[in-house]
Amino acid sequence: MLSSYAQKGIGFALPLIVAFLLSGVLLVIIGENPVKIYSMLVDESFGSSRRIAATLSASTPLLFTAVATAICFRSGAFNVGVEGAFLIGGLGAVFCGFFLPVQLGLSIIPIAIIFAGILGGIWLYFPGYLLAKFEVDEVVSTLMLNFIAIAITGYLINGPLLSPTSGNNVTPVIHDVAKLPRLMPPSTLHGGFILGLISVLIYGLWCNRSSSGFESALIGLNQRFSRAVGISVQKTLILVMVLSGIIGGIGGASHGLGQLYRFSDGFSPGYGFTGMAVALLARNSPIGIIAGSILFGALASAGTTIQLFSDIPLDLINIIQGTVMIFAVIEIARLSLRKKIRAEL
Amino acid sequence: MKKKTEALQATNVHKSYGLVKANDGIDLQIFSGTIHALVGENGAGKSTLMRIFQGIEKPDLGEVFVDNEAVNFTNPKQALKMGIGMVHQEFMMAPDLSLLENLILGEEPLQNNLGVFSRINWTQARVEGDELAKNIGVSIDWERKANSTPVHILQFVEIIRLLRRGCRIIILDEPTAVLAPPQVEELFNLLRKLSKSGTTIIFISHKINEVVAVADYVSVMRRGKISFSNTIDNTSISEIAFHIVGDNEKKTNNLKGGDRNIGDILLEINDLSSNTINKSQELSAISLQLHSGQILGVAGVSGNGQIELLECVIGLRGASAGSINLKDQNITQLGVFDRRRLGISYVSSDRANEGLSLSSSIEDNIIAGSHRDSPISNGHTLNKRIMRATAVERLDRLSVKYGNLNETASSLSGGNQQKLVFAREISNDPSVLVVSQPTRGVDLNGIKAIHDIIIDFASNGGAVLITSEELEELQKLSDEIIVISNGKLVGRVDGQNSDIKEIGRMMVVQGGGNA
Repeated sequence: MLSSYAQKGIGFALPLIVAFLLSGVLLVIIGENPVKIYSMLVDESFGSSRRIAATLSASTPLLFTAVATAICFRSGAFNVGVEGAFLIGGLGAVFCGFFLPVQLGLSIIPIAIIFAGILGGIWLYFPGYLLAKFEVDEVVSTLMLNFIAIAITGYLINGPLLSPTSGNNVTPVIHDVAKLPRLMPPSTLHGGFILGLISVLIYGLWCNRSSSGFESALIGLNQRFSRAVGISVQKTLILVMVLSGIIGGIGGASHGLGQLYRFSDGFSPGYGFTGMAVALLARNSPIGIIAGSILFGALASAGTTIQLFSDIPLDLINIIQGTVMIFAVIEIARLSLRKKIRAEL
Repeated sequence: MKKKTEALQATNVHKSYGLVKANDGIDLQIFSGTIHALVGENGAGKSTLMRIFQGIEKPDLGEVFVDNEAVNFTNPKQALKMGIGMVHQEFMMAPDLSLLENLILGEEPLQNNLGVFSRINWTQARVEGDELAKNIGVSIDWERKANSTPVHILQFVEIIRLLRRGCRIIILDEPTAVLAPPQVEELFNLLRKLSKSGTTIIFISHKINEVVAVADYVSVMRRGKISFSNTIDNTSISEIAFHIVGDNEKKTNNLKGGDRNIGDILLEINDLSSNTINKSQELSAISLQLHSGQILGVAGVSGNGQIELLECVIGLRGASAGSINLKDQNITQLGVFDRRRLGISYVSSDRANEGLSLSSSIEDNIIAGSHRDSPISNGHTLNKRIMRATAVERLDRLSVKYGNLNETASSLSGGNQQKLVFAREISNDPSVLVVSQPTRGVDLNGIKAIHDIIIDFASNGGAVLITSEELEELQKLSDEIIVISNGKLVGRVDGQNSDIKEIGRMMVVQGGGNA
């Protein structure tokens, strides 16, 4: 019997290996040398301190969205609405960043982050409440909320929050004091990365060391049992949804205050969904989330430069990401199927 | 009824799941064209036997004969081919399809055989359906959607579907559980007609009145064996009831009788009623008192409200009227968490899904419920060291055998799983222990250990409310036994000096099967 660490490692690596093999076949078909391309990928993402900084910068939003997703997944709530919370939180933070008087100085940053967390928490409170009280399918409700978030933010940045100086679809730039510090200039790696790592750390502690983390893992595995030992499944479901929203919102704040300094259309190129892939790949484990975020960050940062230097389109990177996600999900499906079969015996 | 040929026969069939012998040498003959009732408590082995007949399970030992020919099914398709089909309690219907579509689903009559491009011959399907419905004397609106069709019609469609597939032996698993009395009569007419035309029917039921009303033969299963088999004409309701509840009546097992001090009232239930949710039995106006040091047994044919009563006490099920008091405190409106805090514990009958979280670690299973209590937790954060020490201490207290705290609870044997449940439930020194099916699926040594736990608990001043399908177990443990039938309290007898026959009569005859 393998140790649980080894098993987790295999569970993490297997989807990756398969995805890279499949993409390799694809590369051969389009007449490229996969070994060359892959070594280029590694080089472009980890080759120098600048490249590493770029990779970590790209992984920053994923740390938040993966934690936000994992909080719900381990409780059995299939929340796909982190993207929405990320957008709402991002706009909220950016709003604080340019709207609050500059005299507030550095205190704008914590205010903006807290505001973003509150917005995100409220945002996912609603689907959580609907799920807990009326068993409204959380996949549908959170997915729909994503579209609403896109529409609301889209309206605001075209209307009330539109920058008076720029064209359209963009807010004013935040005050300089509201910007998160850059860690390794000239790269865009910013203080949000540290915040992201702290989120993962807190998430890990919450999973292993808190009563509510204990409860949420139990309801993820067996709701009837949880009820029988006195755990309120409803309250716990609402709690994890709100926590997920808070982390998602703070992720948006980090991205707005650290990376873009404003909110524009396409603020998130699907960070919520890539975070979901990371959470699945990591099986919700904190260490897995860090590794997965860096991996997907590497793919994203190297992908753009590879497109510049070779004939490989960025789409290939998306294909690799998609394949990893599919295989990660297959593994999950197989595990839960086995559980179900055992339960029936 | 003589000189019948055997349609289906089992000889010396054995089937074990781990240590549990679900079928322990079954010999059963089912004669062609008869209605053969199979009765027995849950866990007696009926389902296992039916699964073997259907080719879902393979017997460990023994043989099954169809038309006197030995068969060796490896999958359900083969059984279906030999003409054996089953109507399950949960109908196998696609709710959004019409009845006709459901009828032919999986075996559609085709107009032309072009593989995936074949077209369904709806005219023929309709003709086949009408023909079969006419033969068994029912009329069916085939265009109706399954989800808007009354449940007894769905049952007819299920039967017709099996007939269309050429089934000659039809197993019905508690078919009347979902039916109202007039519909039951309609179903019985249909079954009689079917059997007259040569179809063999195996009728699984808990309700002895119905068995006597419709069956030609009856077999009673008990603890994996056929304990009784006869023609209906040569037996009686009370004889069947007697065999269901157990045949060794006067066992002197007065081991622990009467040496406990019965003290103050700990739990008092007044006129408790509860509504039906999802086919559960409703409770009406149940009153009882539970004293310190007392073990109160709840007897009844399964599905008559015992589980529901216990769920009301722990708080998993709401009361629609009446009150529950724990030591003078009205707890009727409290949830599970508060009731557990006040000193009620619960051992579920469904160990695999409610008593334990099998895929969680042993540690999590033994700690769950106390994860907000000091010193394991300060209410928010866990002290892992104390948590682990507490887990070990609790498991050791009832000598649960386990390998590693991090292994899943499913790695334990049935007996140790149940001991784990008890270890958790008595760990906070509750005053009232609510127990359902304490020894289901537990081997003999485990049973003794668990009985000792329960008796110890009561001897130390706790109160136990316990239900079990093993009447002997109830009799052995209980100071007093109340009998429930159809959600009503119908009798009350002294524990040790009770007569099993008398309890059995109260369980089945009074109020009885006829819902």
